[in-house]
Amino acid sequence: MTVLEKTRAPQSPAGRGRRSALGSSWTPYLFLAPAALFIALFQAVPLAQEVYLSFTRTSLLNPSRSTWVGLDNYARIFADDGFHRTLLITLIYVVACVVGSVGAGLLVALLLNRGFRGRGVVRALVTVPWAAPGIAVALIATWMLNPQYGIVNRFLDAIGLGVPGGAILDSPTYALPAILVTTVWQLFPLTSVVLLSALQAVPKDLTEAAIMDGAGRWWTFRAVTWQVIKPTVGLLALLMTIWSIRRFELIWLMTKGGPVGATETLVIDLYAQAFDSKQLGTAAAIGMVGVVISLIVIAGSRFVARGAAKEELR
Amino acid sequence: MSRFRMGVGLRVVAVLVVLGIAVFPLYWMFVTALSSNADLFAEEARLLPDLSRLGVFADALAEGEVVGWLRNSLVVAAGTTALSIGLGLPLSYALSRYSFRGKVVMTVVLLLTQMLPEALMVVPLFALFNRFDLLDSLVGLILANSAFVLPIVALILKGSIDALPRELEEAGMIDGARPLTRLVRINVPLIAPSIAAAAVIAFFHAWNEYVFAVTFIYAPHRQPASVGIASFIGEVGTPVQTVMAVAFLFTLPAVAFYLFAQKYVVAGMTAGAVKG
Repeated sequence: MTVLEKTRAPQSPAGRGRRSALGSSWTPYLFLAPAALFIALFQAVPLAQEVYLSFTRTSLLNPSRSTWVGLDNYARIFADDGFHRTLLITLIYVVACVVGSVGAGLLVALLLNRGFRGRGVVRALVTVPWAAPGIAVALIATWMLNPQYGIVNRFLDAIGLGVPGGAILDSPTYALPAILVTTVWQLFPLTSVVLLSALQAVPKDLTEAAIMDGAGRWWTFRAVTWQVIKPTVGLLALLMTIWSIRRFELIWLMTKGGPVGATETLVIDLYAQAFDSKQLGTAAAIGMVGVVISLIVIAGSRFVARGAAKEELR
Repeated sequence: MSRFRMGVGLRVVAVLVVLGIAVFPLYWMFVTALSSNADLFAEEARLLPDLSRLGVFADALAEGEVVGWLRNSLVVAAGTTALSIGLGLPLSYALSRYSFRGKVVMTVVLLLTQMLPEALMVVPLFALFNRFDLLDSLVGLILANSAFVLPIVALILKGSIDALPRELEEAGMIDGARPLTRLVRINVPLIAPSIAAAAVIAFFHAWNEYVFAVTFIYAPHRQPASVGIASFIGEVGTPVQTVMAVAFLFTLPAVAFYLFAQKYVVAGMTAGAVKG
């Protein structure tokens, strides 16, 4: 109800009889108030509650009774070897996702950047993985990786690379790579279409002139193409990093963090702490570690971008 | 000349490989849905769909709650789209066309929401919804999904309004059109493709969403399809073919819409989210 009233609010300055075409200085606030209130209520307030929870001991079974414990939760998780392993797995997962999705996206974008008949159709079909719901992806990936009847095992056996027993998702060694491949499969369409549109901005006469002057393909790429698309690559890498830190669904549905914690990233650990161990305080502290890591990555990328901009001015 | 031909040949092969990788899993979902038991468990995998068995899709729809699941997903997705566009459009207009105190803060907040994990927010949102009696209700899901997709919608729309020439609006101002009128009469028709793209993104964000749905909804008849389908994982009672058929029916609208709106979605993502 309040939401409805707020959306009607922007009319009110004119309703007061003054017909100023610019509107009053309140106009922009009236336009953004509903969205700002909404974000405050459903993002900012819950986040603040999580920050508070991370300093308490609170059980999921009786959440209204929480005991202030200061930094205890943080001290405990950082002293825990299991959590160190979670951090390491998160790091491996995020780095591999970023390198894999941006790398594969760049290769596909370069491949599709040449004009050829049917390019539009190919470009559209390549975006299919990005559109597929995570739950359907988890389902088909699990079926394709089925130890007895999965097509992946049949294929690997046929080329002599079969995993013993075929139980890829039950293997502490192969489960994480399998999830990584699935994640990259889902991400590369986005990075490739974005990079493809960045490649359109590369001046054709420059690359042609370089080739005419006898520069090799690789040299031309580094000296011309890369310089133009570098900011886009940087932004995509940042976006992929913070999305990968928070990715939950695919991992949870494929392995629930197992076997024996081999695919337990920070977010999986946090969810298990909250809903299996019922420790809301510990879960919140783990989540905060993730949020702070993301903030550091964002701040770091700003720093690097500024450094690069200065370099250019010289 | 022959080297040139070989280069072209290699490129064709590479494009086909990429295409194969992109579509194979969904193709395999389709083939599996249409396989007989004998095909599924045979020594040699059947690689082509058995089109005589298309009836499995009709059977899948008749299965238990499937139609109800899809209907719930539709309600949540449509509600999320309406709410996030309704809130995001005025927000993006303010960010694009006005300078005011707090503008930078608002933009940074929108970008920062991109790093908040749903799995973290699910606990406090659960508490909030518990207080306002929004648990086990599709309205609660619409609110939670809108909160997460609203920033993306707003950034896409901001990008597209930024790209419009201001002169158009100045003409409107001279005619005495008020801000809201200008937004609705002048801007909205011009950025209609971007609004459509944002709507597709919002719709399928909610259509695909799982964590909130599985935590906030208890009643089986209120479950959306994402939760319903997830309940098949690790469960042995339902035949694989039925599971894949349901999952395929759930995936098809998302893929079809993205293919249809692909051009605008990509333009929107590039303009809004990436240039942000």
